[in-house]
Amino acid sequence: MEELILKLKQEIIEVLNLEDITPEDIDNDAPLFGEDGLGLDSIDALELIVLIEKNYGIKLKDPAEGKEIFKSINVMADYIAKNKTK
Amino acid sequence: MVYKIGDNITSPLGSSTEQNYKAVIDGCSALALHQGRWDIPEDFCASLFNDEQVEELAQDGLSRLESLAVSSIRKAIQGLSIDLSSNRVVLILSSAKGNVEDLTLDVSTAEGSLPSTAAKHIAESLGMTTMPIAVCNACISGVSAITLGKRLLEVGTYDYAIVCGADCQSKFVVSGFQSLKSMSDEPCRPFDEERLGLNLGEAAATLVLSNKATEASCWSIESAAVANDANHLTNPSKTGEGCYQAIRKTLDGRDIDDIAFINAHGTATMYNDQMESVAIERAELNSVPVNALKGYFGHTMGAAGVLETVLCMYALDHNIIIGTRGYNEIGVSGEIDVCKETTPTQKQSFLKLISGFGGCNGVLLASRCDDALANVATSHSSSKTLKQLHRVHVTPQCIEVDGKKLDLDCSEKDILTVAYKTLINDYAKFYKMDKLCRLGFVATELLLQAEGKDRYVECQDRAVVLFNRHSSVVADIEYLKSISDKENYFPSPSAFIYTLPNIVTGEIAIRNKYHGETVFYVLPEKNTEMMNAITHTAFADKTIRSVISGWLDYDEKGNFEADLAIVCEEDMNNIG
Repeated sequence: MEELILKLKQEIIEVLNLEDITPEDIDNDAPLFGEDGLGLDSIDALELIVLIEKNYGIKLKDPAEGKEIFKSINVMADYIAKNKTK
Repeated sequence: MVYKIGDNITSPLGSSTEQNYKAVIDGCSALALHQGRWDIPEDFCASLFNDEQVEELAQDGLSRLESLAVSSIRKAIQGLSIDLSSNRVVLILSSAKGNVEDLTLDVSTAEGSLPSTAAKHIAESLGMTTMPIAVCNACISGVSAITLGKRLLEVGTYDYAIVCGADCQSKFVVSGFQSLKSMSDEPCRPFDEERLGLNLGEAAATLVLSNKATEASCWSIESAAVANDANHLTNPSKTGEGCYQAIRKTLDGRDIDDIAFINAHGTATMYNDQMESVAIERAELNSVPVNALKGYFGHTMGAAGVLETVLCMYALDHNIIIGTRGYNEIGVSGEIDVCKETTPTQKQSFLKLISGFGGCNGVLLASRCDDALANVATSHSSSKTLKQLHRVHVTPQCIEVDGKKLDLDCSEKDILTVAYKTLINDYAKFYKMDKLCRLGFVATELLLQAEGKDRYVECQDRAVVLFNRHSSVVADIEYLKSISDKENYFPSPSAFIYTLPNIVTGEIAIRNKYHGETVFYVLPEKNTEMMNAITHTAFADKTIRSVISGWLDYDEKGNFEADLAIVCEEDMNNIG
C-alpha cells in the first residue's frame, strides 16, 4: 500500500503539473479538492479519471463517481488496490 | 443600425435557410448515433453531413470546412449586388476549430489547420481583397462575429460584413468533448430534467450585414454585448454572472415588451442550462418564452451563434416561436418559461444568448423593422483615438516593459518561467497552463504591475481583446498526441481545454476578476492597423473604459511574441 500511495502521488504531481509540490507535501487524509488540501478543481478531476484508466485500467463511466473516489490519497489508493486491472 | 441583407444555413438538414426552417418546423433532426466513426472507440450522437452531402459541397482546392463556408456564403449573397473585391467588404469567419481535422503530428500540417488559413482561402476563393478576420471565441464565436461586424459597419470601416460561422466535426473535437464527459449518447434535451449532455453538430451559416437596408421590411441587429464570468475556464458561473451582465448591457434600458422569445444557448449540459435559467431570472425576463435549437442541429460550435440567429429571424418572419426539441419537464432552478411546442407570436424581436469555455457569454437583440428604408444610415465614426497607457513586449530573447528591457537570468530555464518565478510567483496555476496562456499570463501580469493599480477587485470596465496568427496550434498538437496512438488512446481533458485560443482571455479574466468583453481574433498576419480598428470597436460597449489588447502568438516551431498594451480612448484620459 505504501508503495502504491507513493507512486500515485508522483503520478498526480506529474499529470496535474503540481510544480513545487513533493509527495511528502501531500497528506494522505487531506481532501484533494476544495480550498483546504491540494485545491484541485473539476478539470483536474477529469484528468484523474484518465489517470486511473491509463495506469490502472479502471474505467469510470459516470464522472460523479470520482467525487467519492478522489476524496483523499488514502481513499483513492484503496479504491485502486481493489479495482485495478493492470 | 445594421441590417441583415442576406443569409444562408447549410446543415445536414438542408442547404438553404428555407429548407432548414421547414425541417425544423416538421420536427426533423439529423442527430444520430455514430459507432466507430473516425476510429473513435466510444459511440457518440451527432448531427453530421453524410458522404453525399460532403461530396456535393466539396470545392476544388478547398478543405471540407472551407468548401462548406464558401458554399454557404455564395448562397447568402445570391441576388445581392455586392462587389466582393471591393475594399468596403470584409469577411468575418466564426470558427472554433478551423481546419483542425487536417492537423497531424507532422508539424508541416500546422499551417493548413489554422483558422486564419481557412479564412484566407475562403476570402480568396470568393475574390475578396480585404484581410479576413477569424473569430475564435470558443462557442460564442458566432455572436462575437456578428457583434464585431455590427460595430465595424457602424463606425464606417466597411459597408458590408459577411459573417460566416462554420465548424466541422472530427476525431479531435469529438474525443475532446468525450474527455470532458459533457456528451450525451442520446439526442440532447435542453432544459429537461433528464438531460444528459450535449451533441455536436456540423454546419455553416452566413449573415450578410449592411449599414443600409435593401428592403422596407428587414432585420436589424439592435444591440449586442459580451461579458465574462471571471470564474472558471469550463464551468459556467453558478450565479450566471457573465450571461446576466451581457443581457443587461444588451437591453440597456430597452423596452422588453416586444421580445417574442429568448433563444438560449441550451446545450443540454447540466451546468449550462442551469446557469442560463439563473441569468434569465436575474434579468427579470421570466415571462419571456425561452427556446433552444440544439435538439435539431446539435451544438455546431462556431456556426451556432450565426445559425441560430438566422433561424430565429425566419421563425419570427413566420410569426412563430420554434419549440424546443427534446424538452419535456423543466429541470433547472431558475424560473423560466421553456417553449416546448411551436407557438404563434405577434412580437417582432428576440434575444439570442450564448456561452462558452473561457467564461465568455454573448447576447444580441435582433428586431424586425417595418420601415427600415426610412432610416437614414448614420455612421458614428468617433473622433476619439486610442491611447496606449502601458506596453509589454515579450519574445524568447527578451522582455520589455514600457520600452525598458528587463534583466533576467535565463541560463537555466525558459524566459517565461524565469519571469514568472522572479516577478510573479503567486499563482501555481501558471504551471498548468499551456504555452500560449503562459505567454499571455506573464505579459499581462507585467503590464498590470506597470500600471500599478489595485489588483484583484471585481472589474466591469476592462475588456481583453487579443490577436494572433497561429491560434492555439501548440496546444492542438499537444492534445493530438493524446489521441494519435490507437494502443495508447487517452484523450486529455486538460490538454483539450487549451485547444481554444480564447482560453487565455479567460485565464486573464479569472486572475483579475475582469467581467468585461473577452475575445480572441486570428488574423493572417500581424496588422497593426486592423488590430487598432478592431480594438477601437470594443469601446462601443459603453461600460468599457480600457482594453488589454494586442498580439499574442506562439507557433509550432517555438517562436513566440507578446506585444500587449493597456489602451483607453484618448479624450477620456487626455486631462493632464
